[in-house]
Amino acid sequence: MRGEAATAERPLARVPLVLNRRNFSWITERISGVVEDRAPRWWWVCFTITAAIAMFGLFCIGYQISTGVGVWGNNIPNGWAWDITNFVFWIGIGHAGTLISAILYLLRQRWRTSINRSAEAMTLFAVMCAAIFPGIHVGRVWMAWYLAPIPNNYGIWQNFRSPLMWDVFAVSTYFTVSVLFWYTGLIPDLATLRDRATTKIKKFLFGVFACGWRGSNRNWRHYEMAYLLLAGLSTPLVLSVHSVVSFDFAASILPSWHTTIFPPYFVAGAIFGGFAMVLTLLIPARSIFKLHDIITPQHIDKMAKIILLTGSFVSYAYTMEFFVAWYSGNSYERFAFWNRVLGPYWWYWWTGMLFCNVLSPQLFWFRWCRRNILVVYFVCMCVNAGMWFERFIIIVGGLHRDFIPSSWGLFIPTWVDIWTFIGTLGIFTSLFLLFIRFLPMIAMSEVKIVLPDADPHAHSPNGHHPVQAGGMQRI
Amino acid sequence: MKRVFQHPPEQLSDKKYWRSLGEYSNTPEFREWLEREFPAGASELEENDWSRRDFMKLMGASMALAGIGLTSCRRPELHLVPFTKSVEWTIPGKFLYYATAMPRRTGAIPLVATTVDGRPIKLEGNPLHPASSGGTDVFAQASLLDLYDPTRSRRFSNHGKESTRAEFDAYIDKLRSQLGAGDGLAFLVEQVHSPTRERLRTELEKAFPKMTWCVYEPALSDAQNYATGVSFGENVRLLPRFDRADVVLALDSDFLDCGEGDLAAARAFTARRRVKSAGDSMNRLYVVENRFTITGAMADHRLRLPASQIPTFTYLLAGKIGALTKDSGLVSLLGTLTAPSATPEFNEQWLTELANDLVAKSGSSIVLAGQQQPVVVQLLAYAINSTLKNIGRTIVVREFPRNRNNKSILQLADRMSRGEIKQLFIFGGDPVYNAPRALALDPDKKVPIDWADLQKKVSDVVRLGYHEDETSAISQWHAPMAHYLETWGDALAADGSYLSIQPMILPLFGGLSEIELLNALLGRPKVEGPGLIQETFRATRPSGDFQTAWSKFLHDGFADHVQLHDRPAAFNAVAAGGPAKQLWSAIAVSPPPTAESPEIVFVRSYAMDDGRYSNNGWLQEMPDPITKLTWDNGAMMSPNFAASLGVATGDLVQVTIADSARDADGQPIRRELVLAAIVSPGHAENSVTISLGYGRPIAGRGPLPYGGDAAADNPPTGDVPGFNAYFLRTAANPHFVVADGKTIESIKVSKVGKKYPLSITQDHWSIEGRGLVREAKLDEYREDNNFVEKCAGIDEPQKYLPSLYTHPPLTGQQQWGMVVDLNVCTGCSACVIACQAENNVPVVGKLQVSHGRWMHWIRIDRYFASAKPFNEDNGEFPQDPEIVHQPMMCQHCENAPCETVCPVNATIHSEDGLNVMAYNRCVGTRYCANNCPFKVRRFNFFDYNQRPVGKKKIAGQFGIYEEYIAPFTEKGAPDITKLQKNPNVTVRMRGVMEKCTFCVQRIEEAKIATHARVGASGGDLRIPRDSFTSACAQACPHEAITFGDIKDPETKVSKLKAADRNYRLLDYLNVKARTSYLARLRNPNPKMPDAGNLAVACSEAKT
Repeated sequence: MRGEAATAERPLARVPLVLNRRNFSWITERISGVVEDRAPRWWWVCFTITAAIAMFGLFCIGYQISTGVGVWGNNIPNGWAWDITNFVFWIGIGHAGTLISAILYLLRQRWRTSINRSAEAMTLFAVMCAAIFPGIHVGRVWMAWYLAPIPNNYGIWQNFRSPLMWDVFAVSTYFTVSVLFWYTGLIPDLATLRDRATTKIKKFLFGVFACGWRGSNRNWRHYEMAYLLLAGLSTPLVLSVHSVVSFDFAASILPSWHTTIFPPYFVAGAIFGGFAMVLTLLIPARSIFKLHDIITPQHIDKMAKIILLTGSFVSYAYTMEFFVAWYSGNSYERFAFWNRVLGPYWWYWWTGMLFCNVLSPQLFWFRWCRRNILVVYFVCMCVNAGMWFERFIIIVGGLHRDFIPSSWGLFIPTWVDIWTFIGTLGIFTSLFLLFIRFLPMIAMSEVKIVLPDADPHAHSPNGHHPVQAGGMQRI
Repeated sequence: MKRVFQHPPEQLSDKKYWRSLGEYSNTPEFREWLEREFPAGASELEENDWSRRDFMKLMGASMALAGIGLTSCRRPELHLVPFTKSVEWTIPGKFLYYATAMPRRTGAIPLVATTVDGRPIKLEGNPLHPASSGGTDVFAQASLLDLYDPTRSRRFSNHGKESTRAEFDAYIDKLRSQLGAGDGLAFLVEQVHSPTRERLRTELEKAFPKMTWCVYEPALSDAQNYATGVSFGENVRLLPRFDRADVVLALDSDFLDCGEGDLAAARAFTARRRVKSAGDSMNRLYVVENRFTITGAMADHRLRLPASQIPTFTYLLAGKIGALTKDSGLVSLLGTLTAPSATPEFNEQWLTELANDLVAKSGSSIVLAGQQQPVVVQLLAYAINSTLKNIGRTIVVREFPRNRNNKSILQLADRMSRGEIKQLFIFGGDPVYNAPRALALDPDKKVPIDWADLQKKVSDVVRLGYHEDETSAISQWHAPMAHYLETWGDALAADGSYLSIQPMILPLFGGLSEIELLNALLGRPKVEGPGLIQETFRATRPSGDFQTAWSKFLHDGFADHVQLHDRPAAFNAVAAGGPAKQLWSAIAVSPPPTAESPEIVFVRSYAMDDGRYSNNGWLQEMPDPITKLTWDNGAMMSPNFAASLGVATGDLVQVTIADSARDADGQPIRRELVLAAIVSPGHAENSVTISLGYGRPIAGRGPLPYGGDAAADNPPTGDVPGFNAYFLRTAANPHFVVADGKTIESIKVSKVGKKYPLSITQDHWSIEGRGLVREAKLDEYREDNNFVEKCAGIDEPQKYLPSLYTHPPLTGQQQWGMVVDLNVCTGCSACVIACQAENNVPVVGKLQVSHGRWMHWIRIDRYFASAKPFNEDNGEFPQDPEIVHQPMMCQHCENAPCETVCPVNATIHSEDGLNVMAYNRCVGTRYCANNCPFKVRRFNFFDYNQRPVGKKKIAGQFGIYEEYIAPFTEKGAPDITKLQKNPNVTVRMRGVMEKCTFCVQRIEEAKIATHARVGASGGDLRIPRDSFTSACAQACPHEAITFGDIKDPETKVSKLKAADRNYRLLDYLNVKARTSYLARLRNPNPKMPDAGNLAVACSEAKT
């Protein structure tokens, strides 16, 4: 009975991935239309606002570089604060895209096709935002190239024991592979746009980037092999990059940083936060562009389940941190976690970690909640904020009260801290707005593959063929 | 080491060689050129900023002059050789050291100045003289920065208009003829014990027999002098001999505060607390005081009592001791005094056991009364000491000259108010700022008037001042005063020995010294060089050749042929009885302060002294040893009293003192001050302590160069750091004031309801039960000399685990390490300033301190510990805690956590065990600071050295912090501040991390010297054992810090590391710190009621 539409007559049939029996043409028209039509007024309004915020963020960065790290609230003991919090936050968001593209691809989760393109784009933009912070947080930005393994006349080499060094390689590799993966997936759709282009310039540009795609069998064979290989390559990176980011903390000696649980905990947290951000972006886009048939409640439901799953990982990790701190018998470790709950930053923990990250996803146990857009959106926003708080609690929470009580001190953000972060939100949303304006935000070719029409054995739902609108079932 | 500057001798052949055509023809132009070339160099500096060329010229000149300090003894000609022609005895890059001394009100401190290229860059104690023994204090260290103060007075001015030295000299010349017998002439000077100044003053008194000579020191009380004079005769000073004392009682006496000048006494005290093994003995210190002082922090037993109740306490103690010893003198003296009306609240047993302990140690105890306590307390203390047979044993009566003709500022004010003073000279000081309020009665209106109004009654005031301050603003003449490092001089140390002062540099801004001005007033010709000092020196009758003796005097820094005389110990109880009875009645009735009517106590500041260092950024930024407050003072009060007012630290309170005297309208005269409260555990109840020396405005200065906009939202104080407690201070009550119902009607402290930003460097004062400061009672230590491991909590590891990383081999011939003896560290902070001076550590300003960005490489952690646990996060305070201090600097871990995390290899390990920083390589990720368990790394958040730091006034109250607009400010430090920098230490730029280097420049210097000496002979290239030390260790007056080679088992540091009290911090982290600590001991009397509340710093960790 598998693969049949869940109707009253056939309750166990699969729900189709694209609703309302949309055909190839509708998909092409609807998705290409977003790129080809004139930009709607709301787009300009949004873009103007986000670009202005982005520009102000860039101004803050320029101000910080020209004047000194002191324009932020960082101090001793809080050598890192919002800067690295934002870095880890953005890198975490950058996880969902590649996870959806690569891991779900390898696991043959065909529902990914509706969301993978924009999720990947989101990944790239998030990694770009993330990369800003390690770049500018250093005291002498103009000397940051010392982190690159460039032979120099001093004969000094990098310190490969430093997790920051590993970070540089992990993040840059991840970004490179993510760009390649995203671009490879774009090629068939770029060719579609090229073919539909009305002006020479568009034709030329899409033509160049489509790399001469003809849709031939040979093209498809190569494309699918390349895509599979890149998916295989990306999969370990999804796990490695945030593991390496977590080493920044785990490889140190500070109580509450020096923890072996960090790599899986960070990866789970990243996926958790990343999916929340994907939903945050797609839920409005879906309504604006009337993509309800492609991004269906089923998609949202599945993502909500992933959020619930990874959220549970994260909650487990939180619990284990406390357990291990107690079980270790180490008074510094115990104090650090006690301080997290009752110390000066107590409300960060209670709202950010406990309410947003642990409690709010529990709503997703209920189907009603997973299907209610408002509830889903509320939880996603909670998780977005909660994951930022989590990173802040880990970083500043670990730094502000460590071994020697005399050097304890609080961190208070300045307007530059705040606006640099908001500025990266502006950069991120501006880039995303540009993306949906200029590139197909949904992988047309991949969505078409999951249509029943793509299956040569597809029949009308009233027929007797076992394969139904759920699409091709090759597994 | 000094070489005589010798030009090559003239050739004796009859051929004449010439170097230029000008010289050959010997034209007038050439000779004029020759004359102009050198001597006019310094005068150009008065108006303009310095060019490099000017600087080199001046440095060359002063270099030559500094050398002449010795050479002129043999060759009276003055050579001023520009640097371009090279000074023969200098080796570029090598320092020259000269002995000198810093004049201070209680006695000068012998110093050795380090000079490079003719500029002094560092001051150290003179190890040859016991008054320093190589140690210094914060003021001696920081006085160097005053020399290079960009805001110091640079000009002569007449009625506020710029004038010249020549006009001033002409004025003095003319003035001399108009003075007659000097009945209108008066001098207001500071207390310095200079024999030459005293000699010139005596000569001046001969010329103008009716002149008035007034000595005023705001932080010095006459009570002690008077009491000493009455009890022991004139011209003596009592010197405590702590080396002979087993039990010490300090009655409101902060004798460990080296700022008072007696380094030798403080050193002798801590020497008796240096415990090498469990068999050693230790002295015992009892302290009775109203606020925590560094002496109180060292106490084995401390009783907090309002300062106004200490006379009563002393009376009760004397009674107990009289009863125990049945000493008739003491009993009869007490018999003449009426019993106090009320007894302060304290545990009776405390007093009884204290008396028992003192009596048991008769002849080896000391009872010290603070100099701010009234005469009767001093007399009672002397009587007690006499009863205990301490005089002559633990208290030496030393001959010390004191001039009976010195007038007090009250006497001077009285004459001024009556218009009798026509001509007033004010040397130093700043009476408009620091004179007592209500100094004299206005003869017409019959209301009290302050100094500023009094000074306006004098037609001619000449001010010799270091700054153009408020006093200068209302003086007719202002002349710039020379710094002591710019002048010839002499001084007596606290023990009476005779010290030399020689200049290190020509006066930077043409300043005059007091003795030059006195000499000019005598109508004598201007004396270049040390002539005036030599004349005084000659009178001491040095043996042998005068020039040799003079050279030795300058070289050693003191004259060892001048004998010090001690008087036989004879306390004149009869003479003391009269004044005691007379003065006691005023005190006995003074009621104990209450919450409604608290006492106000004025103390000198540990950083600003009496305000004379108010423009010194190092001192402004030095955390107070007790409150850890920088850039401000405040109203210190006990937690209970603060709670009764409803204030917390940083809340503004208003102090109002109402006099019984009435003003013209018949209203009580009120003195008010709004200032920030500081909740201070261990403070006496119903008592408020305010340190003097803050809130000093300097006219024309503008905002402080180092920022510190203290009170942007607090109109009473404006832009000047801190609050001027002199507003509250009268001559009648200079040290503490209580509402006695007679002269003072009421005292009120009330909440204002506004906040004030305070920059406190240590917010958390609980040690949280961690084994950081380990402490035990002496008895416990004797029972178990391994206590450091037991009270360590988890810090003492079971075994050291292998490191995952490879570490550079520690193969150096010498391995550097440090030991800090917590048992003798008083927290005085001399090491902090010494490190700042040595290592070019910048001042960051008040705002940056409040953001946690101060740059000190060494910080002194201060914890309050109490047997009764308190939860600081819940706002609980320990009421009567003990204080422990712990100096904390880079621990130079062998497995340094900072090194593994630096991505660019900017912090690495050297073969001789140093954790070194490569500033050029550092990009500033701050990861090392995060991973440092001791949090001793400091980051340059701004370009503190290159850009101005602090607030710049734009218009009115509106100002902007210049570090936050760095790209729009001028880059580059003022030249004058550059002169202070140590050329051997990199000046760090923004964005790089820095930290204690164990003074690597000193290590390298010593290495180079050793290599140069051993040379190619292939001998032992190790630096000779204990031949040099780090700046902090050198400065420490108590030798609490020891630095050296830990590979050599015979060095001091190795021997200390082998001691059983030695422990390393956070050892369980396997960091293997090279700095270790010797655990602290307290020596409580087990019979005392508070014995259980001592040595409790790590009691929680123990369990």
